[in-house]
Amino acid sequence: MNRWTGKAGSFEEWLDYIRSDAEIMSNVTHWRTIPSREAQFAPLPPLLHQRLRDALSGRGINGLYRHQADAFDAVSRGRHVVAVTPTASGKTYCYNLPVLQSLLDNDEGRALYLFPTKALAQDQVAELQELANLMDVDIKTHTYDGDTPPTVRNAIRNAGHIVVTNPDMLHSAILPHHTKWVKLFENLKFIVIDEVHAYRGVFGSHVANVIRRLKRIAAFYGSRPQFICASATIDNPREHAEALIGEAVTLVDNNGAPMGEKHFVFYNPPVVNKQLGIRKSSVLETRKLAALLLKQGIQTIVFARSRVRVELLLTYLQELVRDKLAPSTIRGYRGGYLPNLRREIERGLRSGEIRGVVSTNALELGIDIGQLQACVLNGYPGTVASTWQQSGRAGRRQESSVTFMVASSNPLDQYMIQNPDFFFNRPPERALIHPDNLLILIDHVKCAAYELPFNRGDVFGGEKLEDLMEFLVEEKVLHYADDRWYWMNQSFPAHNISLRSAAQENFVIVDLTDSQHRVLGEVDRFSAPTLIHEEAIYIHEGVQYQVEKLDYPEKKAYVRQVDVEYYTDAQLAVELKVLHVDKEASTGELLRQYGELTVNAKATIFKKIRLSTHENIGSGPIHLPEEELHTSGYWFSFSEEAAARRSKNEMQFALLGIANVLVHIAPLYLMCDPFDIRVVPQVKAVHTERPTIYFYDRYPGGIGLSERLYQVHDELISRAKALIARCSCLSGCPACVGPIEEVGLLGKEQAMQLLTEVGGAE
Amino acid sequence: MSGFKERMNRLRGGGSNSGSEIPEALADEASAAAIEEELLRSEGEKLAAKSAAAMPDLSEQEPGVDPEEAVWRQMGVILRQTDKGCYLQRRIQYPGVFSHGTHTLNEWRSAEEGLRKFHGSRGEIGEEAILYLDLETTGLGSGTGNVPFMVGLAYMESGFWVVEQNLIRHPSEERAMLHELALRIGRCSHLATYNGKSFDWPLVKSRMIMNAIPLPSEEPAHLDFLHPSRSIWRNTLPSLKLSYVEEERLGIQREEDVPGSLAPSLYFQYLASGDPSPLEGVFRHNESDLLSLVCLSVRFGLLLSGEIFNRIPYPEEAEELVRCGLWLEKMGLASLAEPLYLLAEGKEADSSLWLKLAERDKKAGNFERAVLLWQKVVCISGSRIGPDAQEACVQLSMYFEHRVKDLQQGLLFAEMALRGAEERETLLKRGEKRKHDAVGMRARVERLRRKAGVQHHLECGE
Repeated sequence: MNRWTGKAGSFEEWLDYIRSDAEIMSNVTHWRTIPSREAQFAPLPPLLHQRLRDALSGRGINGLYRHQADAFDAVSRGRHVVAVTPTASGKTYCYNLPVLQSLLDNDEGRALYLFPTKALAQDQVAELQELANLMDVDIKTHTYDGDTPPTVRNAIRNAGHIVVTNPDMLHSAILPHHTKWVKLFENLKFIVIDEVHAYRGVFGSHVANVIRRLKRIAAFYGSRPQFICASATIDNPREHAEALIGEAVTLVDNNGAPMGEKHFVFYNPPVVNKQLGIRKSSVLETRKLAALLLKQGIQTIVFARSRVRVELLLTYLQELVRDKLAPSTIRGYRGGYLPNLRREIERGLRSGEIRGVVSTNALELGIDIGQLQACVLNGYPGTVASTWQQSGRAGRRQESSVTFMVASSNPLDQYMIQNPDFFFNRPPERALIHPDNLLILIDHVKCAAYELPFNRGDVFGGEKLEDLMEFLVEEKVLHYADDRWYWMNQSFPAHNISLRSAAQENFVIVDLTDSQHRVLGEVDRFSAPTLIHEEAIYIHEGVQYQVEKLDYPEKKAYVRQVDVEYYTDAQLAVELKVLHVDKEASTGELLRQYGELTVNAKATIFKKIRLSTHENIGSGPIHLPEEELHTSGYWFSFSEEAAARRSKNEMQFALLGIANVLVHIAPLYLMCDPFDIRVVPQVKAVHTERPTIYFYDRYPGGIGLSERLYQVHDELISRAKALIARCSCLSGCPACVGPIEEVGLLGKEQAMQLLTEVGGAE
Repeated sequence: MSGFKERMNRLRGGGSNSGSEIPEALADEASAAAIEEELLRSEGEKLAAKSAAAMPDLSEQEPGVDPEEAVWRQMGVILRQTDKGCYLQRRIQYPGVFSHGTHTLNEWRSAEEGLRKFHGSRGEIGEEAILYLDLETTGLGSGTGNVPFMVGLAYMESGFWVVEQNLIRHPSEERAMLHELALRIGRCSHLATYNGKSFDWPLVKSRMIMNAIPLPSEEPAHLDFLHPSRSIWRNTLPSLKLSYVEEERLGIQREEDVPGSLAPSLYFQYLASGDPSPLEGVFRHNESDLLSLVCLSVRFGLLLSGEIFNRIPYPEEAEELVRCGLWLEKMGLASLAEPLYLLAEGKEADSSLWLKLAERDKKAGNFERAVLLWQKVVCISGSRIGPDAQEACVQLSMYFEHRVKDLQQGLLFAEMALRGAEERETLLKRGEKRKHDAVGMRARVERLRRKAGVQHHLECGE
């Protein structure tokens, strides 16, 4: 370390300096060095077209990485393929080489590329165009999305060899107008689906149905395209790809790309209040680490979990390093930035002009920003898969790199930071989809019928087609004649069906304080009744607003800034009714079941609670419609003996504490939004007449989340126990069973006791 | 089945989640109500006797007994059997003397020469080689789920005009109907429609693909009369729907017409009940559309052959005269346009129209009239220089500067334009574009001042 400039001579020297800093190291719970890995090459496939060889050697490539060669080989044997590759391993060659090879052999061929976002599609077109130019062949690649000018659409439909689009466009613009795409569908050889791990949950279940429709149309035009998929590292890539495309798939996961040495540092902010279990803010600690890196001139990416945090960290960092770096060299990146600005930032990162970027998970997907040297994660990104993806942004083929993961105080973060082995040894999460969810399926059966009549004996998904057809005949959208079902309705079904419906269900919060009304933020539909009912105090960036009017049908809440000394707390009455038990098992004193249930939730009253003393200073009714949800769920109940051993009140706190822990660690096993799954503890459940904790999928019909939890129940319970046992707080904190205000002074102890005595885990 | 339905209903029971279903159901309700209202209204009016000239062609009719068949027969509908399957057909022959509004069908022969101008290279249009087409469909747009349940055609055959309407009793009859349509299209050199370029024809092509029926490789030359109608009547008619155009310009009065937008619902009613009666109105509507379309083609044909104003009076409004002239010029008939402009000049009109005509004159080199028109615009606007007057001033300024080389006059008009721009600049504080206007005007004025070498004192100042 140079005493005068404060700069280390090299990256390694800087790491040594960090290692010797007692203050920092006292917060480092784990430092893992992942050794560098040599590239594993394979010769260029003998079949590879000469033009492709020349183009590759023009780029200085004379051999392929092993996984690229294997993908090429599997595709040329006619297999559907899913390639699993970490960031920066040359994944695009896995599909571009076989596709270009095929187009070189047959100029009439066509390929369809699907990316989850428009930005990714743009990158891809540039890459393919460059390869085509290097080969000096006329292979036309075009994006086809909402931004495509109408004047060129016709040319793309007829002449584009490779059409790059997204599932939404396929769903609402291409498939319902397939007769305009005869050239494409008649000659469709390949369907490339990148980032397949992004197609999970409700969205993924929709996309799987769009692909069913796509295959149906291709078959109509006599083509049987081959699928080439690419995925980030997840637990079940083959199973997931197979569920998504409905075909047997060959897995290619022998990554042969080289990687420099990688340091993965777990950083837990110090405890500032031991009793309450409060730690120093993860934002401030992230700022500190990122500033150290940036001041060294190390190109760094910071990931934060919300847009607000991105802006906050960006402001802090620009301020902190102002004397060393111009503000324009540290940038933010998130949804809501305009495409041109994003492109500019991506370019700046690639060229090295931009030294630091603070991003939401928007940069997690494969947008090309080159390879950076350091990554700081503000909080655990939610899944092991995302964590590796984000961390992969820092990692060069030759030099070493570092990732700091700064834990927040939420239980999942705390679990991860204290259980590094769990993170490093465990496979990442499973991507789950449930394409046969009846509501999703029926939507797409309508779209499919619009596109082509169904014949008796056709198959679409797992339900009996005749049942679906007869139902839709009764609904007056289909007409049956001569063993076929025809669409017979004036509507255009795809317009009413959004693949990403969850996002559209949000309530918008409009601030009326100034004459120019502005949108403050959004609240999801399920939280709306308790957070933004009329008279609720809604807190946004530390400012209090009162809800003046909630327009429930329009999904808008109108708020005005206020300054009051209370907050509001709404009570939600939840009623669960088990309709059907599909599976059942028991461990120790615990009985667990999986099945169908209905959930009725209704916000009843709200209380006004004084900020300083937490005393109740008033209340009011909430008049909002009851929400009913029919879904799948998993629940486990404790024995009557266990119930008899404690008072009802004690049981209440114990259950609440366990539920709080479980809902936070459930995402360990699922790739889902925390809002996708709910947990409800009941001291005496109607169904079991025993103390019971319920989990349910928060989407009508279920999307497979609770089912997965049912499978991993034992592991889930033992993890919960371990988390509570290892938490350093005295009697409950937000990082384990919840704060004392919620679970009482003995909540932690009672939760632990209950879990131990039922022996559910061992 | 009932088990399935129960499951669906349970899932949808969530109220707010069944979102997409409710509006659809409501839409159904609404359209049912609209049909009822429409029918009640027409019930009051007495059923008008069919034109005596219209003779349903019943020669191919088969004897039938069931009531449904009786209704069909009453409507003049017969069963068509082809080697690809069956569908229904209604054929009505019209003698050439049949008059529909202003025009008779016979006039088509005199209009033919004019109609050639739409596709000059194709030459003469054989009287049996033009096919008029109008589809009635189950929905909107050209998506693959939109089915043409009625293909209405009009053509000349052995000296008679024939309206031929083909109807499918259910979607599986579509293929047979389209086969016949493809054959007929193969025999024609020209296709005539109203909005067919963006609706009927793409839909026909799409349906042929869906049913694997090849169309002739050379498409017929397409005459879409919506386009000239829009060019000429854009501002003079409140709507360019065919029913408006025919009433306002072709002297056609429809009796108890079922609006085309109701056709899908009426067809669904028929599908659900098997009772053909709701379709009678659709047949009549489609028939009227086809006859009007033929007459509209006669109108445009006569206009293009320069004969029309021997038949009917000139349009009254300057707007229509000028737009008509501009369209004729676009079709390569400048000589026919000039008399229309002359007539228009004497009438009153919005200044934007005069600007349009002046722009045309400027392009054509007729500066004499262009200058008069620009001056007229300035006069109309009076003391306040509105946007049109400002534009006229700019044009006049350019004219004097570049053509007459009279810099003083040029400056005078530039200053007037600037005054107008500045007036509005103060009125519209946020109008960015207007502001730029003033900037441009100032530059023009300054340039002219420099050029003229004159120091001029502006009353209004900077």
